[in-house]
Amino acid sequence: MKEKKSIVPYIYVLPWIIGFILFTGGPIIFTIILSFTKWDLITPPIWIGLSNFVRMFKIGSEFWEILKVTIIFTIFSVIISITWALFMALLLNQKVYGVTIFSFFYFASAVVPLIALTFVFQLILNKELGIINYILSLIGIKEGPNWLMDKNLVIWVVIILCIYTYFTGQMMLIFDSALKEVPKELYEAAEIDGANSIEKFFKITLPAISPILFFNLVTATINSLNTSFTLIYPLTAGGPGRVTQVISLDIYNNAFKTFRMGYACAEAVILFILAVIVSIVQFRLSKRWVYYEV
Amino acid sequence: MSKFTKILILLVFVSCLIFIGLSAEVVTIKYAHWNALSEAYNYVKAFEKKYPNIKVEFTLIPEAEYSQKLNTMAMTGTAPDVLCLWECDISRFAKAGLIDPLDEYVKGSKEFTLDDFIPAVRNLIKLQGKLYGLPWCFATEIMYYNRDMFDKAKVPYPTEKWTWKDFENAVKKLTVVKDGKVEQWGCDALGFQGLWYSLIGTFGDEIVNEKGQFAIGKGAKEFLQWWYDLTNKYKVVAAPQVTTSGIITADLFVAGKSAIAFNGSWMTSVYKDIKNFRWDIAPIPKGKRQYSTLHTGFFAIYSKSKVKDAAWEFIEFCMSEEGQKLINKAGNNPSARVSILKKGYYRVRGPMGPVHWDAIDKTAQFAQWGYVLLPPGLTFDIVKDFNAVILGQLSIDEALKRTVEKAKDILGEEAVVVE
Repeated sequence: MKEKKSIVPYIYVLPWIIGFILFTGGPIIFTIILSFTKWDLITPPIWIGLSNFVRMFKIGSEFWEILKVTIIFTIFSVIISITWALFMALLLNQKVYGVTIFSFFYFASAVVPLIALTFVFQLILNKELGIINYILSLIGIKEGPNWLMDKNLVIWVVIILCIYTYFTGQMMLIFDSALKEVPKELYEAAEIDGANSIEKFFKITLPAISPILFFNLVTATINSLNTSFTLIYPLTAGGPGRVTQVISLDIYNNAFKTFRMGYACAEAVILFILAVIVSIVQFRLSKRWVYYEV
Repeated sequence: MSKFTKILILLVFVSCLIFIGLSAEVVTIKYAHWNALSEAYNYVKAFEKKYPNIKVEFTLIPEAEYSQKLNTMAMTGTAPDVLCLWECDISRFAKAGLIDPLDEYVKGSKEFTLDDFIPAVRNLIKLQGKLYGLPWCFATEIMYYNRDMFDKAKVPYPTEKWTWKDFENAVKKLTVVKDGKVEQWGCDALGFQGLWYSLIGTFGDEIVNEKGQFAIGKGAKEFLQWWYDLTNKYKVVAAPQVTTSGIITADLFVAGKSAIAFNGSWMTSVYKDIKNFRWDIAPIPKGKRQYSTLHTGFFAIYSKSKVKDAAWEFIEFCMSEEGQKLINKAGNNPSARVSILKKGYYRVRGPMGPVHWDAIDKTAQFAQWGYVLLPPGLTFDIVKDFNAVILGQLSIDEALKRTVEKAKDILGEEAVVVE
């Protein structure tokens, strides 16, 4: 009877364990193994040891450029999307008439398929036919910028467009529910003490929602590192040159466009390590600013 | 047992035999393509009607994922019986033994002979040693022009004899500037990635030589400098716009903002809906030589297929005049069989154009497979650098250095020639 009791919980979690081994753990191990091979998908893989990694990290390799773009994109897209999501959530917590309508409009862009959104923005931002440059022409700027082809502008345009992704909308909802949980008494006490809105935000709101802020920060970083492909591939395809070429996009290109699956797997391993390092750093630093009790 | 019961049992028995017999005769073949089947010109349905004993299980794979999906299916042993392979894949599949040679099948065919195909098809056989695939139709890259704009600027229409000098003179006259802003461009930027290679090819680079090596250098340098000047110095060609996977979302030619545009011949099926201006087509102008790129997909038989004879019957039907007529009409794509090409089934014109369909037929005589034989990831990446050159973000020498380095990295040192 005692033995039976100990087996039952494992049977309950067995479907998840099988799913994890088949669809997550297995592919991770397989990716690591393939990173030491040369494989074009249709002929058997050839073991080449560390060659893929050596090629990746050699001086003058384009991987360094891609890594730099990835880091810049990740840092700023996380800052922008979290700030935007928090700002929107704060607005939704204001006592104004028709706040649910605002909530719908803020979230609407997040549920539009990203591929459709990127094509719309390609049109909006087009140098010759785009509405933004048309508006600029009305205020006297005859030659509007080539938004998605200007090497100094494009990365910032892509970063700003992150606010329209589903993930930012999701963060807004999470912040929204966290803000509703902050005890009202704290604000009342602060008001009696004469605190203004900014002081209340930094001294009460931020510390109170810091665990949620931390959660969003970690998930946004991992999301930015791994799934930036879904935004950048249809929007700029990494160009012009390599200005918006991030690692996730390069993995796709190497795996399925140039059939260098081994090299793509090596890049995936590096991306995985990068995500782990960034997460560890974030967890370490979180001890200094995250408060789990209010 | 009564007489009625005996007859009933006999009838049931005979019915069962007929049913089993019929079931055994019907063969199902799997076939995948990136183009949806047209309602009006459904060649799969026509085949099934002609061959009731063969059923075709059709799978539509989106174009952007087509190549990778077929590669993955081949890797897992689940590729369709009839593949329509892209140029960049056919050699790889042949080398890996994933497709069967078709030489013996073609020898026994009563529908066609290899002599009937455009020169590029025969050249590809030479390159590969054997015949591994038959082109389902073909497309090439050509020049589109707005006849109304030409008339207004009093510029003669382009012909097959046009050189790049004629082109330059024309775009300078066709560009309209108002209050310091370009209202009408002489020519649109190069959107589709293949155009870069076609235009560079006219400047003398081989692109892919007879040994199958990627050959680029002087021609590219000369072309990039000239195109840079047209875009930035003379401002008669529009600045490059973002293109992802070869798709351009804002087409200045359709918008009536550009007098000339280069594009694939398949765009005739899109531009035929233009209603507000007259337009036509011409071959790409001559430089050091006439050059353009051919595009197609090759019907091939999966080597692990268990229904190879039925698969061949389907391919043979598609390559017959009956099949080709439907395929050509469905996508405005001409047949690679010269005898059918001449009949012009692909010429489904719109109310405003085109008129000179022979521009496509003539281009087919000198066009080559070129860059399409190379991995798409390589050629697309190189184009991103070419765009950066035209935008003044990268020097020509640096772009070409990166081109050669990348090509050597992906294809191997021996597969790249600097011209």
